[in-house]
Amino acid sequence: VTELERALVLLGRELELPATPDVAAAIRPRLARRRRRRWIAAVALAAAAVALAFAVPSSRGALLRFFHLRGATVELVGTLPALPARVDLGRPVDPDAAPFRLLLLDGRAPDAVYAADGGYWLRYPGALLFELRAAAGGTMLKKVAGADAPVRWVTVGDDPGVWIGTRHGLYLPGGAARSAGRTLLWQHGALTLRLEADVPLDDAIRLALSLR
Amino acid sequence: VVSRPLAEEHLLVERARRGEARAFEELVVAHQEIAFRTAYLIARDVTDAEEAAQDGFVKAYRALGRFRTGSPFRPWLLAIVANEARNRRRSAGRRTALVLRAGVEDRFGDAAPSPEAALLAGEGRARLLAAVEALRDDDRDVIACRYLLELSEEETAAALDLPRGTVKSRTHRALEKLKEALA
Repeated sequence: VTELERALVLLGRELELPATPDVAAAIRPRLARRRRRRWIAAVALAAAAVALAFAVPSSRGALLRFFHLRGATVELVGTLPALPARVDLGRPVDPDAAPFRLLLLDGRAPDAVYAADGGYWLRYPGALLFELRAAAGGTMLKKVAGADAPVRWVTVGDDPGVWIGTRHGLYLPGGAARSAGRTLLWQHGALTLRLEADVPLDDAIRLALSLR
Repeated sequence: VVSRPLAEEHLLVERARRGEARAFEELVVAHQEIAFRTAYLIARDVTDAEEAAQDGFVKAYRALGRFRTGSPFRPWLLAIVANEARNRRRSAGRRTALVLRAGVEDRFGDAAPSPEAALLAGEGRARLLAAVEALRDDDRDVIACRYLLELSEEETAAALDLPRGTVKSRTHRALEKLKEALA
């Protein structure tokens, strides 16, 4: 080591450098966020694996993005397959026979109640409500929308929900796939609810909040 | 800078790789000073250096899966942080001048045995600093890493993203330029 090199080392030790900030504390929230994201991704992947058990036409194209609520998954795919609209909900049943108390729009009795697809369909004029008591982690209901579909997370009161503001595909275990209109999906207590009505999001949320 | 046995550091890296943020935090605490100083000497701006250090550590955390088990952590980390600092230097285009600490004792006084040793004295240090500052960026970076930050050749190569041979030759060239400037 030459004198010059020794002088440079001493120079470095005598420089007035800014105090080292507490980097560990500054990045702690970012590291935690990263952990949460990993966890959410893991849960979402598990839900996607469950969803694969559904009979979905292979023509739907690549899966681009998905939303998962307890018991329900919304997938955005490259190509939305052509599907028929479902007209037959089966035979009406006595709503009191349901194993859980059915929630009613604005407390009003529906025109008819059907037991199908693992849950209950409540038919109102211009609106179709599906109520499902689903276990966490499983997927009972799957909806598939095109890549550019207006699908987003929403809040219904304090509950998490997903708004699908367009025509999309609906898949239910054991049932035939069908085409469905604008839909609000949300979780409330032990129930996962689905409201299909040709109304804007604000009206759909108002209707959802009227459930009792 | 806290130094810890390599085996202990490898253990921390392994724990951090398994997602233990606490283990990674220990690594950050151990290396934040050298990371920040390296970023500062490259970016020459406190805010840029702070951001470079933070972003560098977060990127390192995300990239732990690609870290080669058993290799030293510090050069790998410095490569990431220094890259962040260089990106900021390019975009910022400004540079804060380096200054000497006030009131540093003149350790060698008048007992300077040679012209080079005179550099160790008060006025000599100021001249040396001015000569370092006058070097072109790539020469100054190598001098800053090797001597001002006292990084090893391997760490300097990693931080500056250069082969070790280039670090050697560039260091030699920069030292020659300094000698000329001080002659």
